Amino acid sequence: MSEDLKGIIEALIFVSTEPLTAERIKEVLADFPEEEVERALQELKQNYDTNNRGICLQQSAGGYLFTTRPEFDPWIRRMLQIERKSRLSQAALETLAIIAYHQPITSSEIAAIRGVDSTGTIKTLLEKKLIKIVGRRSTPGRPLVYRTTEKFLLYFGLNSLEDLPSEEEIARLLEEKDIEQTES
Amino acid sequence: MEASEIQETYQVRLEIFEGPLDLLLFLIKKRKLNIHDIPIAVITRDYLDYLARKQNINLNREAEFLLMAAFLIYLKSQMLLPREQPQLEESSDPRQVLVNQLLEYQKVKITSSLLRQKEEEQQRRWLRPFNPTALSLEEEEILEVNLFDLAECFYLLMKQKENENFKILKGREVSLEKKMGEILDLLEKQPVLDFLDYLKSQESLEEALVAFFCLLELVRARLVIAFQESLFQTIKVWLRRDRLTEERG
Repeated sequence: MSEDLKGIIEALIFVSTEPLTAERIKEVLADFPEEEVERALQELKQNYDTNNRGICLQQSAGGYLFTTRPEFDPWIRRMLQIERKSRLSQAALETLAIIAYHQPITSSEIAAIRGVDSTGTIKTLLEKKLIKIVGRRSTPGRPLVYRTTEKFLLYFGLNSLEDLPSEEEIARLLEEKDIEQTES
Repeated sequence: MEASEIQETYQVRLEIFEGPLDLLLFLIKKRKLNIHDIPIAVITRDYLDYLARKQNINLNREAEFLLMAAFLIYLKSQMLLPREQPQLEESSDPRQVLVNQLLEYQKVKITSSLLRQKEEEQQRRWLRPFNPTALSLEEEEILEVNLFDLAECFYLLMKQKENENFKILKGREVSLEKKMGEILDLLEKQPVLDFLDYLKSQESLEEALVAFFCLLELVRARLVIAFQESLFQTIKVWLRRDRLTEERG
């Protein structure tokens, strides 16, 4: 039975057009006991983790999805004849980092932290659907406020915003950098 | 990021800095200064030296750098002025605003480098292109492409053709007008044109180039619409119905 269930879940994730959440899987498989579904899902994930498969089951943007194993990237690029995927600019990354940690946030607040005007970058990020407008602030000028999107999580392989490094982690990294500097 | 690289070359261009805060952090690091107790006179001199190296200041891009220069000079003057009360509490240190800004920006730099790592890691994972039959046309996420996407599409094709070892002695001459007519005729026969396929069907590089220029021209003339369903995929071309009747009718 459990083997069946694993297979079913695998099939569901395979056809899903977006990361498939555990809730949705349980909803579809309502005729099975919830614990069993949960167990089958965990087993499936382990199967993919332990066997040396070309495909992994990744947990990203709150759901499950199949991706290729990162190590095999060179072969895939060879087949598709793609030298390298285009990356976000440094400005885009900084702006995203600020939005991710301070959302909801306005354009002028972003500019204040970066020390440079960021409207162009915000526009690019909107086009890439990595951020979205969630409303306006009721302060003078009624500026737009921005948030990161699901696609943002997917792009960076984050399961949720909680996956972002915490304040403590950042502080630790900063310290490490300081030590490096004094030593060098 | 490439911090070591930056330090090695003394002549660093202003362009590589994301903004005045980035430059300040770099200068502080170079002199191994304590961010909480920056000697404003020293850092201002360094900072101005940097700006001075720049021949022409592009106000659009470098206005923020100048603003920071003005702020540093202001800070310096504040520090020189005799205080009325000799022992003020720390918060009234005129540098505090700058220190806070630098600390905050330092965090941004750290987090964005972490995001960069995540991006790299994730880019090595490939997602299965989602089953197109499972999507109806309305659900397709359509993005209107810009010239860069078109150029990228063309580049993709060229990459593919590269390995085919083409040998063309002399291709037939194709005029822009003729090709444009050909594309429009094709679009009248079929609703959608897969542009990458179309480029592939061209006999020679010259012809593919002409076809590509034609598409650019047609997009510019607003005779056709070019759509890309998602990044790094082929571009689909539609006829603009409204224009067609005007132009040809």
